[in-house]
Amino acid sequence: MSVLVCENLQKTFHSHGRSTRAVQGVSLRVGPGEVLAFLGPNGAGKTTTIKMIAGLVRPDAGTVRVAGRDPHRDPWALRQLGAVLEGNRNVYWRLTPLENLEYFGVLRGLSAATARRRGRLLLERFNLTDKQNALTQQLSRGMQQKLAIAVSLVHEPSLLLLDEPTLGLDVEAAETVKRMVRELAAGGQAIVLTTHQLDVAQQLSHRVAIIREGRIIAEDRTDALLARFSGEQYEIEVVGEIDAARRERLRALGAEPLNGRVVYLGVPEGLWDVLDALRPLTILRVEKDRADLTEVFLKLIREEERA
Amino acid sequence: MLRLIGIEFKRSLLMLRRYPMEMVGQLIVITMIFYGLFLGARYIAGPTAQFGERLDALVVGYVLWTFALFAIGDLSWGLMDEARTGTLEQVFLSPYGPSRVYLARNVAGLLVTLALNLGILLLIQLLTGVRLDFSPAVLAPLGAVLLGAYGLGFMLGALALLFKRIQAFLNLFQFVLMFLIMTPFEQFSGTARLAGELLPMTIGAGQLRTLMARGEAFDPVVFGLALASGLAYLIAGLWVFGSAVRAAKERGLLGGY
Ligand SMILES: Nc1ncnc2c1ncn2[C@@H]1O[C@H](COP(=O)(O)OP(=O)(O)OP(=O)(O)O)[C@@H](O)[C@H]1O
Ligand SMILES: [Mg+2]
Repeated sequence: MSVLVCENLQKTFHSHGRSTRAVQGVSLRVGPGEVLAFLGPNGAGKTTTIKMIAGLVRPDAGTVRVAGRDPHRDPWALRQLGAVLEGNRNVYWRLTPLENLEYFGVLRGLSAATARRRGRLLLERFNLTDKQNALTQQLSRGMQQKLAIAVSLVHEPSLLLLDEPTLGLDVEAAETVKRMVRELAAGGQAIVLTTHQLDVAQQLSHRVAIIREGRIIAEDRTDALLARFSGEQYEIEVVGEIDAARRERLRALGAEPLNGRVVYLGVPEGLWDVLDALRPLTILRVEKDRADLTEVFLKLIREEERA
Repeated sequence: MLRLIGIEFKRSLLMLRRYPMEMVGQLIVITMIFYGLFLGARYIAGPTAQFGERLDALVVGYVLWTFALFAIGDLSWGLMDEARTGTLEQVFLSPYGPSRVYLARNVAGLLVTLALNLGILLLIQLLTGVRLDFSPAVLAPLGAVLLGAYGLGFMLGALALLFKRIQAFLNLFQFVLMFLIMTPFEQFSGTARLAGELLPMTIGAGQLRTLMARGEAFDPVVFGLALASGLAYLIAGLWVFGSAVRAAKERGLLGGY
């Protein structure tokens, strides 16, 4: 029941006598309501993969199925796909938001009336109604990006591709886009999103795929991946000096006192004894080490580099 | 397809309206040229004057020239512009496919230009009291020439997709167009004539000359040939454009890499 299935996609570009193996065997699956964060360093092959899914770049090998149909063979497969592409305007600046929605709606196969009706609903949903008759050129960067997403949804595709949707947005606009992504996924939309903002990916994604030099080096549920890279250790922060006697006791319990901090690496129940040993010092913080996606990402990328 | 033409027509009108100064400028230029022609300044028609000395011939010659120029270049300019701003890929995401979208866009653009020109012509006729009287038969070869021009337009569009910056080349095409429209191949003989008439737009342009400058009767056979040539070039143009789309997808050239 996957909305997107791609198997073993490969693409090598030849230009100016050089060839670049941009994508080397990428397989991805995304189901309804699922957000896949597709991450990787610059030049890893994310945009190339997204464009192969969207039928804009022809793969050398491998297959793409969007809702069961191949956009490279069957143009109407595109009916089930919406995309906001990286670094592009994606919409006509000389038209108003509503006109853009109507135009692209018809281009995607709707009647003009349906496109207008859905366009109005989308503008309402994305809080753009008061701008519906302003020129797109005059909207803020964030509003333009929201409009681009609205336009990519006007034909109600089952798969949405977002290539760096929060690039260049200020904090508030980025929050709005994130909220939209969450709401869309909650409504059953399948979404593939690429971003270099790993906190965004961590907050939004159900699954993560990391690509490096054209190959997927990790793919998992986001929480599983984070857990896999999270240590077993606890860190306790206290106010004041830890005296020599306490240090002794802590060491005996398997905890390592550092200045102002204690790191404990034993079984979880043993934590209580460690806390006892610290009594009556004021405890500022007790925390289980939890990896964030940035750490995971960097670790994986570096491991690969060494290998 | 009608739906596409409809929405492209609306888009063209909206785009025009967004830049009222541009539109007003365009209107003034067209009006002045037609007005000049009506007042007898036939040098305005430039090289197209060879379609005949009479006013209607000058007007038809001028219309043919501007429309053909528009038909040949509009698509390529549009593609280059869209590749630069980044709406090209969104157009390519249409399930109708780029050939049909741009064909619809061409038809819509032609309708808009036609409406502008006809409106101005009618207005001037009212104001000056001068009547144009060319037979509607003239429109037939004009249409055939435009089909060929759009065929060439798609071929140039193919180049624009693959090579991005072809502005200089496009400007050069004015001279190619002049050669194709102005050379009286219909008065040549033998292989030169055959070769000439195999080129795009030449048969239709020749028939226009025959009709207007030499005042001969409308020959349906010649028109049939002109139409066949126009259609053949349009189909060839669409085929070349389709191949260029495939090549661009192969090399990842959409979206201005
Ligand atoms: N049309 C093309 N012709 C030649 N090389 C290309 C083309 N498109 C992409 N490449 C190359 O393919 C590789 C992958 O590029 P791609 O744009 O997919 O990376 P990316 O992961 O999206 O990077 P970024 O994070 O910078 O957006 C890069 O080395 C790039 O230079
Ligand atoms: Mg990219």
